[in-house]
Amino acid sequence: MKSLTLKNLSKTYFDLYAGTNVTAVHDVSLEVPAGEFVSIVGPSGCGKSTILNMIAGFLSITGGDILVGGTPVKGPGRDRGVVFQNFALFPWRTVLENVAFGPKMRGVPKDEREAIAHEYLALAKLTEAAQRFPNELSGGMQQRVGVMRALANEPDILLMDEPFASVDAQTRMTLQEELTRIWQEKKPTVIFITHDVPEAVFLGNRVVVLTKGRVLADIPVDLPRPRAWDVLHEDDTFKALSGRVLQLVRSA
Amino acid sequence: MTALLHIWSGYLRLVDRWPSVGSIVPFLPLIALWWLVTTLEVFPRVFLPGPLDVWKSFLSLTYKGILPEYLQDSIVRLAVGAFWGIALGIPLGLLIGLSKRAYTALWPPLLFFQAIGDIAWLPILVIWFGYGLVTMTFVIVYTVIFPVVLNTVLGVRSIPVNMQRAALSLGASKLQVLWEVVLPGALPNIVTGLRNGLGYGWRALIAAEIIVGTSGIGFMMFDARRAGSVVEILLGMIILGILWYIVDSWILAPIERATGQRWGLVTK
Repeated sequence: MKSLTLKNLSKTYFDLYAGTNVTAVHDVSLEVPAGEFVSIVGPSGCGKSTILNMIAGFLSITGGDILVGGTPVKGPGRDRGVVFQNFALFPWRTVLENVAFGPKMRGVPKDEREAIAHEYLALAKLTEAAQRFPNELSGGMQQRVGVMRALANEPDILLMDEPFASVDAQTRMTLQEELTRIWQEKKPTVIFITHDVPEAVFLGNRVVVLTKGRVLADIPVDLPRPRAWDVLHEDDTFKALSGRVLQLVRSA
Repeated sequence: MTALLHIWSGYLRLVDRWPSVGSIVPFLPLIALWWLVTTLEVFPRVFLPGPLDVWKSFLSLTYKGILPEYLQDSIVRLAVGAFWGIALGIPLGLLIGLSKRAYTALWPPLLFFQAIGDIAWLPILVIWFGYGLVTMTFVIVYTVIFPVVLNTVLGVRSIPVNMQRAALSLGASKLQVLWEVVLPGALPNIVTGLRNGLGYGWRALIAAEIIVGTSGIGFMMFDARRAGSVVEILLGMIILGILWYIVDSWILAPIERATGQRWGLVTK
């Protein structure tokens, strides 16, 4: 696990249709210690996905620095695992092969990488689905595979871009609880992007509120773990925190 | 009405159990109609021989060894042409699909040459290479390559950008992305391109054989015209259809089912 540092990060691009420069991310600084779970929450268009794509190395930065364990980021790499909103699983590979993809890319022998994949599939209760193809699974199961594919590659930082936005509400709650459980077990550094305020509070050690490309607030979440919806639904601290974050998001 | 429905559902169940029945039965009414027209002598026999005459001609030409030899010639030509069309077309399509520069440089000439139909090349090819395998191969490669290239480009472009990003952030090199993501992602479209390309190639081959051939099914048909043998012309036409049907349904369609349909990229 490594720490993540954003120093005065900016992203300006030329909008072809408007004919002007648009600043999507404005001077964002953030310090994430190794092993911390940070939720970034904000309305659509606030620049949260742009930040994640820059950390992942998919988009170039136009100002500032991104450091992973003190080293500047240069393009995509296996030190930063990504979980996508639309899963982005490889449809031509079985569930097992999808999860074993990362180890395969760095030349881990077949037996060994399949053992790794089986271990992670068991963690997400996906053992039964190992030999199936992604299109044969439900959305919730596909995203479990997506999370496990990223984790099985043992990244220093796990980047999650609204990963549960396209699954149904009940499944989403289960996935959120599973994620907190797995995080406690593996303790990866996580950046979790969402527009869902209760989700951000439920998952994170910290909630960063982003509006119009700037950090509006950085709020610590002191809720005990393991976290479960049954308990937190009625919890006053949780309700108070969620209310406060929601107000901040809506004030923008 | 209900009786007809019963027959139809019985037929569907039969086809389900023996798929080969489904590829023969639809032709029976056609053959029956053909037989009826010739038996009633609507047209003179010399102009339109019946199914039985064609069958007899098939047997005698097979017995003499002419038909197997010509058939082999045609199939070898198609195979050689298809091989080069695929070997050149897929890499070219991947290049154009992946590289903006390659697209800018190669797309306009590609469209230009696509417009000059395969047959339009024959006059100059005959002057350059004479009446031989080179001319034939050129024509087939020329026909096969365009659908393969265009569909490969389409396939590469239809791969979601996040799929390549996922591979890169899992540690894949550019070459690994090509092999693990771009190629399988484009495969359903590549197969479609092959299916079209080989279909066009097969027709182009027959046309080439008619014009420049000294053997092959196309040559047999044109030679029969000179001899006034309508039976052999009809036989040639039927063989063309049957052969393509076999290639398409026994080779190409199964590949399509095993790739795109299995992965949920193409609807069944």
